[in-house]
Amino acid sequence: MASLVPPPKLYTDDVSLIVIILDTNPFFWGTLSNTSALTFSFSKFLNHMIPFVNSLLLLNQLNHVVLIASGVASCGYIYDSATAVASDGGQKVPAVCSEILSRLEEFVAKDQRLGKGDLRTVAGSMSSLFSGALSLALCYIQRVFRSGMQHPQPRILCLQGSPDGPEQYVAVMNAIFSAQRSMVPIDSCVLGMQHSAFLQQASYITGGVYLKPQQLDGLFEYFTAVFATDLQSRTFLELPRPVGVDFRASCFCHKKTIDMGYVCSVCLSIFCKHHKKCSTCGSDFSHGHSELDRKRKHSEV
Amino acid sequence: MPQVRIVAKNFMDMVAALPAMKLDQLYDSSFICEAVLRSLPPLAKKYVLQLLFIDAPVTAKSIEEWVLSDGISKHKVAIDRLLQLRVFSEVIDRKKEASYKLNPKFQSNMQRYLVHGGSLPREPMPSSVTVRLPTAEDLEAYALEQWECFLLQLISSAQAERPTNFSPSMMRVFQRGLLSARENEAPRLTENGFQFLLMETNAQLWYIIREYISTAEDRGVDPTDLISFLLELSFHKMGEAYNLNTLTDVQRSAIKDLADLGLVKLQQGRKESWFIPTKLATNLSVSLSDSSSRKQGFVVVETNFRTYAYSTSKLHCEILRLFARVEYQLPNLIVGAITKESLYNAFENGITAEQIVSFLQQNAHPRVAEKTPTVPENVTDQIRLWETDRNRVELIPSHLYEDFPSKEVFEAACDFARDVGGLLWEDSKKMQLIVRGDIHQHMRDFFRRQK
Repeated sequence: MASLVPPPKLYTDDVSLIVIILDTNPFFWGTLSNTSALTFSFSKFLNHMIPFVNSLLLLNQLNHVVLIASGVASCGYIYDSATAVASDGGQKVPAVCSEILSRLEEFVAKDQRLGKGDLRTVAGSMSSLFSGALSLALCYIQRVFRSGMQHPQPRILCLQGSPDGPEQYVAVMNAIFSAQRSMVPIDSCVLGMQHSAFLQQASYITGGVYLKPQQLDGLFEYFTAVFATDLQSRTFLELPRPVGVDFRASCFCHKKTIDMGYVCSVCLSIFCKHHKKCSTCGSDFSHGHSELDRKRKHSEV
Repeated sequence: MPQVRIVAKNFMDMVAALPAMKLDQLYDSSFICEAVLRSLPPLAKKYVLQLLFIDAPVTAKSIEEWVLSDGISKHKVAIDRLLQLRVFSEVIDRKKEASYKLNPKFQSNMQRYLVHGGSLPREPMPSSVTVRLPTAEDLEAYALEQWECFLLQLISSAQAERPTNFSPSMMRVFQRGLLSARENEAPRLTENGFQFLLMETNAQLWYIIREYISTAEDRGVDPTDLISFLLELSFHKMGEAYNLNTLTDVQRSAIKDLADLGLVKLQQGRKESWFIPTKLATNLSVSLSDSSSRKQGFVVVETNFRTYAYSTSKLHCEILRLFARVEYQLPNLIVGAITKESLYNAFENGITAEQIVSFLQQNAHPRVAEKTPTVPENVTDQIRLWETDRNRVELIPSHLYEDFPSKEVFEAACDFARDVGGLLWEDSKKMQLIVRGDIHQHMRDFFRRQK
């Protein structure tokens, strides 16, 4: 009898589950702090982010914040406000801060070890494992959905700096579509120099907010003004609107971002060159149109 | 939750009603700031957060620009609430333009929270001192048992097994409005009393707490102290032990009363004694409409109007008795039937059909709670039909006018009554006319003028 649960009931509207994806790519943060024009380092960034986490927890006692770091070669959970309270025996924010810092340090060291043998880093590509972090976030949200009858409103916030990795295109797009399916908006805040096509598409498709702050020094104000807003309040608040979305895709064969290409008529895979056979589904294109047409006619009869 | 007259709105309304000086004094404590902030509507919370690090006043106009046009009513509600709780103070500048500024104490407390983080009101005692603490289930059971015991004593003092240490005078304060005590007569539950029993635990608790606070002054206790203590209590961790020595005298006397209500459990060790907050206490500052503290239901209603209540509680039996005929009682089961007579009885006591239906739905046994509808439709319909039965005839005090001297006078009178909005019935053949009782004086004046 105890296992039976009362009927499903949602929390009040403004209880949120916020999964924050944090870019810890050392290449990006290194270049950002080296450029003399913008003196913005990772530690300064944390000075803005940790009060933001605190403020999310302050807004509602049922709010739930999860931090996920995405590094060069790996990604992992950094902080979970639900378990932190249970283990520490008290919601102490100094503890929150030190926990985040120590876990981050551990993560970065591990990420560095893992990334050492990786050819990608040697080749100079400096994108983070964004697709993996996004999938982790969605898995976490699915677990919360299934854990009980009451769950808060989830949303994902990406704090991304490093440029997009075109090789992750398929994985990222799949994650975005699954977020759309489970009605999880993806907010994105781009800290780097360039706009991110991935994040523009992610926010556009899932109905989140895409923002590229002009001044990184005022990051906390951007956070509180835009990203702290719960989903219900967004319907009557003036929030940044998308200016333009970069819908370009990456080809599946060379992972290059392309404007125009070839699309497999069966599985919709994208290629930059004409292939005889689709590498994804194995459909044969070598016979040309005539035979395909005959086959179709045959099957219709 | 049906709208009943005695439902108290929430803790924060009470805080908002405090005089300005007392309110400012409350904001010395960061817990109260925190509780106040969390009680605000979402939009208001956001405004506070956004203005938190801005020291200069911000004009009302620029805040209004944050909102879309269809959110303007929400915006007004948020601003009103912030002003009411004195979180915002209004500054009118030379150009007669209003701008808002955060309460400085509130602002610095919240800034500190964001940067350094919140802390606990007091350290829990180490587990080496408190040997055996009750488990979460035990604690919840204790809280509910204590609360039921209190309720039973409240509705009929004779039935309580263990008398609480509330003085009879205190008890009478609680009973005020719920029971009517006539001379030489056993006290009867009033209409409000019945409605009170059908409310959710949180709403009931809040009603009692409100009475408790509002009568604090008679007991020589400052209500502000009580409010701040109760709010602070809701920030303690449920199930942890806290030393009684850390409390002030006022708080220590209050905590005994709170233990009687089941908000805290008092325990004594070899040297020290401590209190353990229960779920009732930690939910106190949560917005009360929030049904996050849902109890397990116990009632099954069948299509043949029989009710089976799987409960050992006397209180549940008493509540069922309000609208159903209890047929027999087994150790863990109360079997009753909803009959026309029992319902008429309930309606006479001022309980509405909606309240009964929502009580049955809210307390549905988990087995039936999964089904839709939880309460069979024929039963809910019949309960509503029986209620409307009683409302078939509406009584309006009225006056009959007849023997008019002429058709003209009669028609003029009819027109006049119609214009005033008091005409109920007319018969032009017999020249009779019935008019609402409260219009009679106007009619008399009218006839006098006719002459």
